[in-house]
Amino acid sequence: MSYYDIDAILTDAEKIPCTFQVDIPDLGYLDNTPTQPLKAGTKVNLPLWLAEMLAIANTGDVDGKSFVAFDLPRAMGNDVVQALKADPRAVPLRDQSAHFYGLATHMMELSEEQELAASLRKTFVTRASEVALHARKVGGVGQKGKTDEGSNLGVGGAGEEFLRGLDEWERQLFRKAHDGAKSGKEWMDGVRKH
Amino acid sequence: MPMYGDLGNKLVQHAKRTQNLTHLPPYQTELVRAVTREVRDLDKDVASLLEPFQGSFDPSADQATACTLLVNHLSMRRNKRCLLAYHRTRTDKLEELVWNGSDVLDLAGQQAGGVNGAAADSGASSSLSPQEEDYFRQYGDLLAAYKGQWTDIDLTGSLEPPRDLFIDVRVLKDAGEIQTEYGAINLTKNSQFYVRQGDVERLIAQGYLQKLG
Repeated sequence: MSYYDIDAILTDAEKIPCTFQVDIPDLGYLDNTPTQPLKAGTKVNLPLWLAEMLAIANTGDVDGKSFVAFDLPRAMGNDVVQALKADPRAVPLRDQSAHFYGLATHMMELSEEQELAASLRKTFVTRASEVALHARKVGGVGQKGKTDEGSNLGVGGAGEEFLRGLDEWERQLFRKAHDGAKSGKEWMDGVRKH
Repeated sequence: MPMYGDLGNKLVQHAKRTQNLTHLPPYQTELVRAVTREVRDLDKDVASLLEPFQGSFDPSADQATACTLLVNHLSMRRNKRCLLAYHRTRTDKLEELVWNGSDVLDLAGQQAGGVNGAAADSGASSSLSPQEEDYFRQYGDLLAAYKGQWTDIDLTGSLEPPRDLFIDVRVLKDAGEIQTEYGAINLTKNSQFYVRQGDVERLIAQGYLQKLG
């Protein structure tokens, strides 16, 4: 992940629920009340780029308290995880977060949730093979750039629904698998002609 | 309620869209200016927060101020990253365009007409910032100097092996007289020629000629 990576930057803008642990007079604007001080215990949704550092920065207290405590975002909440456990392919991840895996990776770095990490891994593996399957099927359609939106892929029914629910990382995977299969086919055709 | 970093995010969303386009959308002068202004304001805030401490600020003695400073600092850092990534996306695109042999004027044309190669230069303003135009020109010079080291190979030529040495082309816009191994040809609009592919590859890429059949 590079400093200039556009998707990494957009992932960092995803918000997670945080709770402030100390009173901070000047930060009321984070809770929509610029004139009021921000009280300890206030819950605010903060973007990752802010929450991450506030959560790991030490306040200098003896007990090593940090400025904010964070919870898992709703995209990784119990409902979603249960649905993923039942059938990873049936959940439109995009509706949870356009950068679902990016967000999940960040959260896993911040917390030690072994079981959740395992279900997320399984989710990706299961869905990735489904993505590959779809990518090969649509070989004929779409020039480069046309695969951007899930809508004009020319696949019917359930497939379309599944592809619409791909998160950004899966979309890239889909595009690469699709372009790869297509280039391979074109090359083979070229070989036969000569 | 808008928050620090929101504008920077908008800029990055522009960059994301740019990545999937073949042309370069207009430079977001206003947005870039607004983000830099935000950084300047944050910097002023930091300076005034630190002023009473006379350079001897102890973060553990004043946690609230320490946290505010951290938030301001992170917001500035975030904006910086957004600004750099936005410009980097565009310069990457510009470099690609230089390698493809595009013209800065062509870019403005495409913006207005949307048709590749059609004479759409209706005086539309360039989608590049003045700095980007400079970058484009100087990168072009660098590439030309680099290519100049090898006179018998065209680094920006097509990688496709040609099927035929000679091809039919139609002239889409006047390109003046060119010199070939077989003498000079005057490329006037709407005329057709049977020429060596290697001689006109550049002109096809630039949209002056169209390959037939």
